[in-house]
Amino acid sequence: MFRGDSTALKAAVAAAFLALVLAGWYAAAARLPPYMMPPPEAVLRAAGRFFTAAREIGHLKATLFNVGVSIGLAFSLGGALALTAHYARAAAPAIHGRLSPFMNAFPGIGWTLLAAIWFGVSTTSVVFAITVVLLPFALVNLREGLEALDGEVDEMARSFGRAGARRFLYVTGPALIPFAIATLRIMFGVAWKVALTAELFGGGEGLGYLVNLARQEYDTEIIFAVVLTIVVSVYLADRFLFAPLEFATSRHFGRTGGRR
Amino acid sequence: MTAFARSVPRIAADLAVVLALLGWAWMARGLPDFVLPGPMAVGERLVAMFVSPAFLSHTFASVWRVLLSVVLALALGGGLALLNRAVPALDWTIRGMTLPFLNSFPSIGWAILAAIWFQPGDFPVVFVQVAILTPFALINIAEGLRQIDAETMEMARSFTRSRRRAIAMVAAPLLLPYILGAMRIAYGIAWKIALVSELLGGTTGLGYLMLQAQGSADMATVIAACFAIVLLFVTGEKLVLDPIARRYAPKR
Repeated sequence: MFRGDSTALKAAVAAAFLALVLAGWYAAAARLPPYMMPPPEAVLRAAGRFFTAAREIGHLKATLFNVGVSIGLAFSLGGALALTAHYARAAAPAIHGRLSPFMNAFPGIGWTLLAAIWFGVSTTSVVFAITVVLLPFALVNLREGLEALDGEVDEMARSFGRAGARRFLYVTGPALIPFAIATLRIMFGVAWKVALTAELFGGGEGLGYLVNLARQEYDTEIIFAVVLTIVVSVYLADRFLFAPLEFATSRHFGRTGGRR
Repeated sequence: MTAFARSVPRIAADLAVVLALLGWAWMARGLPDFVLPGPMAVGERLVAMFVSPAFLSHTFASVWRVLLSVVLALALGGGLALLNRAVPALDWTIRGMTLPFLNSFPSIGWAILAAIWFQPGDFPVVFVQVAILTPFALINIAEGLRQIDAETMEMARSFTRSRRRAIAMVAAPLLLPYILGAMRIAYGIAWKIALVSELLGGTTGLGYLMLQAQGSADMATVIAACFAIVLLFVTGEKLVLDPIARRYAPKR
């Protein structure tokens, strides 16, 4: 027999739950009109088109581009601000006490609507909106990394050389890598969600734009398919790319020798 | 270090805010109001949001929905975390499937689906907020429950035979900081997504107001709604959450 915490039992219960959800979905789809609840096979067919049909692949690529560029920009900007606050202490209250809480509390949809007015319906609007939403995540996480730096290690590095650039390259930089990976991991998860909103209100292409068209035409299976694609992509990337990378870098460069 | 030297960074920070406001006013001078209204126009609208009855009803609608959603999400997330703890066989179902699913579901996806499934009103807005906040509550409370290991509870039982006393005196105080942590996170995110959840399914609230304003190119109201969210969030955090957290946070 199964033990209460055995892997086989957990897997069996999870499979039963999934089967129950699918059965519930089929039952709901049979009773409700497709614009409210499309059947699972229609959603899967629509999701499959994101990897086979040229038009859908184009939108997926546009979203990937927006997400990638925004992560790069937010990470660079957040890193620059965190370093400025760390090395120029007089700037720290302005950055961490004023800018960071403001950016953190300002709603993402506000940036999206403002971007749509300022830059029109364009890639610039979308990238701007995603970048400003991601910026506080980079700033807060990299600040944590800089504050967790071991003062004694830094002192040791100083005793070996006076060149600040060398010290940053060989001591501070590597010690920050686990935090940088953790930051990228968080940003990746958030970026997809924000991209959808930003493209919906300010984009001329991308998955969010596609959702906007589908919403107007009550083409709910496309909305389900986009959400499914995002949920699966984010989960797979997190599980098989970011989590192992974070663990490996944390073990190699981190102080605690494992995941923080 | 002298008192003046110590206060220089704080003065610099306040100066930076003043400079940012002046820069905004300078930029707005050359631009039409529907592109960038000046800080004075936005400030007036912001005050109206907390004073004028027409705007105040929207602000109040957003506030009570956020509070209700945080409570419901904490109850739902806490319930799922407790179920996961009580029935280990559900671990893959709750932590392995439900949590990542809810966690990576885009907020605008919930907002659109709620607008399709339900009549506009309070329910779709609260539904969207609870759906988004629940995974955050679940993660924190599940983490708290993990801290209450079998040995701690065994120690508690060695002092009393009353299960209720053991829970009240040992388990609950250990769990409290995590519940407060979950509340803080849920509260912060609730304000961020309040506007999105009200955009499509609401007939009142700051999000609804913002969408109406955007439709009529009233940018002062759009920006003021965002600032109102920032103000409400910061006020709740400073006046309620920070003092509670200081009192119950674990000593490090």
